[in-house]
Amino acid sequence: MAAQDRSAPAARAVGLSKAYGSGDTAVLALDRVDVEIDAGRFTAIMGPSGSGKSTLMHCLAGLDKPTGGEVWVGDTELSRLGDKQLTRLRRDRIGFVFQAFNLLPTLTAEENITLPGDIAGRKADAGWLAQVVETLGLQDRLRHRPHELSGGQQQRVAVARALAARPQLIFADEPTGNLDSRSGAEVLGFLRRSVDELGQTVVMVTHDPNAASFADLVLFLADGRIVDRLMGPTADTVLERMRRFDSRGAKPTTATTD
Amino acid sequence: MLKATFRSFLAHKGRLALSMLAVLLSVAFVAGTLMFTDTIGSTFDELFRSTSPDVSVTAHNDVAGRNDQNFSGTVPTVPESLIPTVRQVPGVASVVGRVQLAGIVLTDANNKSIGAIGGAPTIGINWDLRPNSPVDLTSGSAPHGDGQVVVDADTVHKHHLVLGQQLHVIAATGGFPVTLTGIATFNTTNPGATLVFLDTPTAQTRLLGHAGVFTSIDLTADKGVTHEQLRDRVAPVVGSAYDVKTAEQTAKDAAQTLGAFLSVIKDALLGFAGIAVLVGVSLILNTFSMLVAQRTRELGLMRALGASREQVNRSVLVEAALLGLVGSTLGLLLGVALALGLIKLIAAGGMVLKGSQLAVHWPTIVAAYAVGIIVTTVSAYLPARRASRISPMAALREADTPGRGAPLRVRAVVGLVVLAVATGALVGAATDKNLGQAGLLLGAGVLLSLVGLIVVGPLLARPVIRAIGGWFPRVFGPVGTLSQRNALRNPRRTSATASALMIGLALVASLSIVGSSLAASFDAQIDKTIGADLIVQNSTGLPFPNEVGDTVEATPGVGLAVRGQGTRGALVAADGTQQKTVVVGTSPGLEKVVRIEMRAGTVAAGTAPGHVMIGSNYADAHGLHLGSPVNILFQSGQTGTLTVGGIDVTDTNPGGLGDEPVLATSTLRQYVPGALDDIVFVNVAPGADKAQVKSALTTALAKDPQVQVRDQTDYKKLIRGQIDLLLNLVYGLLALAIIIAILGVVNTLALSVIERTREIGLLRAIGLGRAQLRRMVRLEAVVISLFGAVLGLGLGLGWGLTAQRLLAAKGLQALAIPWATIIAVVVGAAVVGLLAALGPALRASRLDVLDAIAHE
Repeated sequence: MAAQDRSAPAARAVGLSKAYGSGDTAVLALDRVDVEIDAGRFTAIMGPSGSGKSTLMHCLAGLDKPTGGEVWVGDTELSRLGDKQLTRLRRDRIGFVFQAFNLLPTLTAEENITLPGDIAGRKADAGWLAQVVETLGLQDRLRHRPHELSGGQQQRVAVARALAARPQLIFADEPTGNLDSRSGAEVLGFLRRSVDELGQTVVMVTHDPNAASFADLVLFLADGRIVDRLMGPTADTVLERMRRFDSRGAKPTTATTD
Repeated sequence: MLKATFRSFLAHKGRLALSMLAVLLSVAFVAGTLMFTDTIGSTFDELFRSTSPDVSVTAHNDVAGRNDQNFSGTVPTVPESLIPTVRQVPGVASVVGRVQLAGIVLTDANNKSIGAIGGAPTIGINWDLRPNSPVDLTSGSAPHGDGQVVVDADTVHKHHLVLGQQLHVIAATGGFPVTLTGIATFNTTNPGATLVFLDTPTAQTRLLGHAGVFTSIDLTADKGVTHEQLRDRVAPVVGSAYDVKTAEQTAKDAAQTLGAFLSVIKDALLGFAGIAVLVGVSLILNTFSMLVAQRTRELGLMRALGASREQVNRSVLVEAALLGLVGSTLGLLLGVALALGLIKLIAAGGMVLKGSQLAVHWPTIVAAYAVGIIVTTVSAYLPARRASRISPMAALREADTPGRGAPLRVRAVVGLVVLAVATGALVGAATDKNLGQAGLLLGAGVLLSLVGLIVVGPLLARPVIRAIGGWFPRVFGPVGTLSQRNALRNPRRTSATASALMIGLALVASLSIVGSSLAASFDAQIDKTIGADLIVQNSTGLPFPNEVGDTVEATPGVGLAVRGQGTRGALVAADGTQQKTVVVGTSPGLEKVVRIEMRAGTVAAGTAPGHVMIGSNYADAHGLHLGSPVNILFQSGQTGTLTVGGIDVTDTNPGGLGDEPVLATSTLRQYVPGALDDIVFVNVAPGADKAQVKSALTTALAKDPQVQVRDQTDYKKLIRGQIDLLLNLVYGLLALAIIIAILGVVNTLALSVIERTREIGLLRAIGLGRAQLRRMVRLEAVVISLFGAVLGLGLGLGWGLTAQRLLAAKGLQALAIPWATIIAVVVGAAVVGLLAALGPALRASRLDVLDAIAHE
């Protein structure tokens, strides 16, 4: 399931629009976005607050319904799917890492990692699981409950869970937002390794140039459109690009219609 | 700060609605109960006060009570000749002779009984209306001569009687046909009785068996003469053979008879109200600790912004007091509705109270607000104190792990000590020979074990839920695991939620054990003691005319008919001390229809003319042997000396026989000439078919609808039916406690769903389907409910067993555990859980995934 053809995009959006509200008070979060997420790549999405980067990720992940355009995950078009099919898509083909509160407090680390597979009623691939756990250095932590783990460890468990089912795509929403810089770098390192060593596809939303520098490609969003792309980013080049948003005064043209 | 309190009060409308409902229901039950019993009490006080004659004269009798219709024989009467005598007394305005006799039967032309439902009496009265009569003639004419009758309007309506209809009145002395000529309507509360009015001569001859006698003579006092003055003037005139009572005394006597019954009802209802409050308290307490836990962050912010700990406390308390105030007010209103509903309910049973007379006394209102406000505030204070102790920053940082709280060690120690004491009390109750003391121990044990179990509940949650939910993961997969873990997440909360259900189910379980043990004991006793093939008896135990026994004897297929009579009397010891008892008469052959264990002599010898059979306890206490003389005071006032011909073993003999003297009917009638049969035992003739004889008897006795022919199976069914009726009543009342318990589960789940919003969002994001999510919530509810059921059944089993052991001393030896009921309770608890989860589960599954993840 995970071994993918690197030439075909893992996900793509065609003319993707998302509006909140309607009529005069409508706010356009995404404005006819076209984007392809390459398989086997680490893609970061950046942009100032209100630029629509989280909305883009949510639409690509089947968590949010677009108001226009198409979203494809592999060869599945999402706009025609009902809640049940979307749930199954998320369960079987997508992995998530959120900023915080990634784990169920009642389950052990191991149970959290295997939860999506358990929900689907799939037998976990023991070899793969062992590899993931070892890669993330969680061998000694499997029996612990989330409250017995540090924030960094909790995020590593979340990454392990996302990886466990070998999804086509992993979406990470500010995965380091709640971590200190060292733990953050560690988690980002693991995401990087999951792409390099395990062949995964990762899409990460972040506002941290350092985090973005771990990616292969950075997409910059502003006012609901992709305004720039940066291959092989470093923290400096990303920061430099972000400053240009600031110097423009970061004037959101559509968000002030209240 | 106060403004913030109001804002937060309004902001949490949804969450507060449920705890408000808990307050409301508890208060409604308490207030409704009080209003209902007050209303009954005050209407009857009013009825008795308004209908009692100023002064009444009745025959004095040492052993028989007035209207003691359960025992046959001469009803104590006052001769008509006394009327001119008392009319001479200065201060008497008017004199009326009164015939009033309960225990008669009214039937229609087809011999179908017309009468009050639920055992209320049918009363025959002579038509002689006084100014303060409780009835008025509202249609037709007053009865004149033999064969005319006036019936009360409630009975007329209930049985669709029409003027001119042919009816039948059956008194103990025999039956006679009558025509309905008039309808009398109650101008006050109808206590549920059926009233049958006859003209005075008819009432005297037909009901009392003699012309010229009354059951009482009622006097009205002249203006300016008090009732007491009149009584004191009349008493010496009539002499010591008569009792003279004022209206106040009569009303008090009547109220006392009824009062005993009413206070039982009141105590029972208040008991249930107490249970409702207890359950309500645990619900309110639980709700508030959840609400406060959820608002830890909000309260933390307030603290961080400079609110003092006291201010935070006060804010929560004011909120609780507001809730209590509103809840109590609404509860009071619902209580009025509840009381009116109960009044309607008993009206269907024949007791017509006027709804407009609903008694709302101030103690009811005080009690309602006390329960509502105090309970709510105390319930809110405890969690508020806990919340305000958390440092503001900790509260701001961490709101996701509520209730991990203090260790449960103190709780364990306290709970186990209380439980140990409770067990001691229960064991004591089960083994104590002194019934009164055992009863007290039982009460203490019940209360303490309840408290103890509530205290250790959180500690039991883990093992018990592991045991009952252990198979969930295997059957329901990760959803099962999650729901089981969720139920265990906060043991305090789970056990508090379950304890409401526990109380209700413990009561159901223990009472059903006692009930079925009672039924089984009676069954065993019937098997052991009754040898008769068939029994002819009035369903209420009242005596019946002798023609019934004659009919039985004349029915083909009847081999042996043994006729029994019960009369009032007393055993008089050598030193003159009297022991009141029932004196039983029997025709020959008693030993062939009832198995009696004899110490000495035989039943036949004991019931030979001039002889008597007595119980071993009395014989031992007074040194009596075969051949000893025994003095018996009969209800007629005569004393007879009889010879002991048999001594039966008191303790093992059929219920009701005990120490009662048994003698031949012929001997009894020498002293009590009018003694009537109240039971006929029948053995079928050799070769005759029991069922055929039974139907032949039923046909032959169709003209006497007050008696029924029963075989042993019918007899057992009758007793079971009575026990079941009682149990169903109790279950009905407990239903309220269970409704509150369901609310508790709903509350806990609803708040848990809110609390776990982010978690639910996460689960949905990583692929948990809506149906799976609903199932997760439902299973959690089922686990909590089953936990409550297990604790409740365990507790109820303990109570029931103890109560049964206690009753065993009274002869209820059999223990029967109603497994069907217990299984039904467990299944019912699971269903309760499912029902309770409907709303919260739906709510959880409808949460928007993204909103849920972003939820604070």
